Amino acid sequence: MTHDKRLGKTRFAALVTTLVLALTFLFPTGAFALTTNKATARPNEKGGSGVIGGLDTRLTWEGTVEGGEQVSSIVLTLPGNGSFDGASTKITALEGLSRANVEGEATAAGNTLTVDFSEPVSEGLLLRLEVEGMRFPSEGGDIVVSGTYVNQSGEQQLADSKPIKTIANTALQQMVAALDASPAVEAWNSNPFLGMFFKPQLMLTALFSLVPGWLLCLMIVVIAYPFAIILGLIFALMKISKHPLLRGIAIVYINILRGTPLFLQIYIMFFGLPMMNINIDNNVLGVIVIAINASAYLAEIFRAGIQSIPQGQYEAASSLGMSYFQTMFSIILPQTVRRVIPTVTSDFITSYKDTSLLSSVGVMELMMFSKNLTSVSGNMTPYVAAAIFYLVVTLPLIKVVTIVENRMAHAERGGGHRPKAKTAAAQGDSQDESSAAGTAVHAEALEPEASTMGSALTSLSPATAQEV
Amino acid sequence: MALLKNKQHHHHRHHKVDVPPAMDAEAAAKLAFMHDKKLSKHAFFEGEHPVVRIEHLNKTFDGETIVLRDVNLNVWNGEIVVVLGPSGSGKSTMLRCINLLETPTAGHILIEDDEITGKPAKEVNFIRRELGMVFQSFNLFPHLTALENVMIGQTKVLKKSKEEARAEAIKQLEAVGLGDRIDYKPPQLSGGQQQRVAIARAVAMHPKVLLFDEPTSALDPELVRDVLNVMKELALHGDMTMIVVTHEMGFARDVADRVVFMEGGVVVEQGLPEDVFDHPQNERTAQFLGSIE
Repeated sequence: MTHDKRLGKTRFAALVTTLVLALTFLFPTGAFALTTNKATARPNEKGGSGVIGGLDTRLTWEGTVEGGEQVSSIVLTLPGNGSFDGASTKITALEGLSRANVEGEATAAGNTLTVDFSEPVSEGLLLRLEVEGMRFPSEGGDIVVSGTYVNQSGEQQLADSKPIKTIANTALQQMVAALDASPAVEAWNSNPFLGMFFKPQLMLTALFSLVPGWLLCLMIVVIAYPFAIILGLIFALMKISKHPLLRGIAIVYINILRGTPLFLQIYIMFFGLPMMNINIDNNVLGVIVIAINASAYLAEIFRAGIQSIPQGQYEAASSLGMSYFQTMFSIILPQTVRRVIPTVTSDFITSYKDTSLLSSVGVMELMMFSKNLTSVSGNMTPYVAAAIFYLVVTLPLIKVVTIVENRMAHAERGGGHRPKAKTAAAQGDSQDESSAAGTAVHAEALEPEASTMGSALTSLSPATAQEV
Repeated sequence: MALLKNKQHHHHRHHKVDVPPAMDAEAAAKLAFMHDKKLSKHAFFEGEHPVVRIEHLNKTFDGETIVLRDVNLNVWNGEIVVVLGPSGSGKSTMLRCINLLETPTAGHILIEDDEITGKPAKEVNFIRRELGMVFQSFNLFPHLTALENVMIGQTKVLKKSKEEARAEAIKQLEAVGLGDRIDYKPPQLSGGQQQRVAIARAVAMHPKVLLFDEPTSALDPELVRDVLNVMKELALHGDMTMIVVTHEMGFARDVADRVVFMEGGVVVEQGLPEDVFDHPQNERTAQFLGSIE
């Protein structure tokens, strides 16, 4: 019994083996498939590692012939408006480490590429197809190369490749491509300095891709600044207050913030708060840090501004019976505001530039973007582009400071717009009329003095005015 | 010129007053003044109280520099008092003590019998609105037009409506001859014009007393006259009490009801202008007036 059983088992195993072998021979699709090893594309983004759709690039496809197959042709297919038109294909076959002699002919037709081998490629060979001058679909996206192949049993389905990430081809990419093709640009870039700092293609790319960072910088400082002004004003008033506690608080606040680097303040806030389980959005925290830092400088600017107002202004307001707050808000601060506008604008410029320090803690602002772009491209041009973004804001503001300063100096000398004299003056003598015409010369201010004196006397005793 | 004539006439009337021999100089001046204002001697001797009463006023700066020593002075309603004296005599400090721009070290100041010394800030503001001040350096608010300078005290302190304040401001600016400059900012005006705006600003508050702190000292000589003319007109209107610290002898002689001479922080002499100018009793007064004239 036991002997028989054993015999039976062996026979069954042999039968199964034979069946399996026979099946695989008859239907080789599954086990004897031409496997797709990889499909990659060469980056065609200037100064980047991206693969851009709609622009010429090279597709490398590799597959291994397995399971006794004899592959006679391969068809690769691209989705969408991907194209092999005008492509040249290099066919390489490797057997182990040595190169096998495989010849073939590639025919491109739209989004398919057909490679016919002169002799069928046999098992164990690694096939590599390098297709130059092909284009991925211009809309970009994850592209899967699919297709079919023909073996001794007929047409088989080719396994899909892993997706290749591609970037949409925008107007910008086309402009960059145009710059790439320009001999003038090539000559420009051959200069080591120009090519490293002012590479046109990269400049163009950077100017576009830095915009979000630039907007974030602007947003941070524009939101932070009104808070900084309010805080600064409060601490300025505290610092000039007679109350020693208020003054003490203001002095500590201002001195600590002015006496430590903003960089350190950023680190303390960005790493300190999460450790206390206070989690604030990075951008919001950026606004807070910039606002607090700027408020200390503004407090000093306001304090100096307030104290630069002559004592006589306080005395005049007091002698009218004005209270401290009335004096502050209707007399002193309006004058202070005028005086500090240039300094505050300069401080705004500083704060705007200081947002760059937030890149160190991962706020995606201008510096962060340009740093990333530079590390990818190995070129300094993105930094120069960042400089342009800073200057676009700071240069006009610097100009504003100069204009405001000049205008204020002019107004303090008594220049500037003169209102039209009221008709009351026209009733005076001819001298009055000439001054009413109002030539805006400072010396003129003295002239109507003589005439109005005449009219003042007239008003005192009209009957005897001719005696004057 | 007509103005001066008027004033001279005014002075002649001073001389007609019989001054009782025992009466001191201040009372004599007061009597003459009452006479001018057609008030009865009876009213004087029964004594309505002075508008400003300064009693034993002392002021020391930094605990060592003594500026005022036991100053006593009364100013009656409607009186024009001109305070003369060399630089450093304490006359400006005395004036600034009256509206508490300086805090007296000791002594009392009473405005219409209300003690103002030693009051909290809030009440001080309330007192100050009754005391108009015209400064040597004008102290106009440079960010406001002439009109706004005259309006701001009325709207902020007296809580007048904008329209009311504006009408009053225009009236006062026209009175000082600046009806055509109401929209000018101070830096666009000459010194004399600025000082006249400052006078309009003070008068528009209708204070009980107008204090002038060397109002013409910062002006070019040719601009002094029209400021003085404005002040003379104010004085002649008769219902304004004025204390004027000045070096303008002509103004004192023409306009003052009483001249007070100070030196070394003390009131050395006071009396009718013609008495003080023509027959100074104190040697130092004579010396000072001599050196001036």
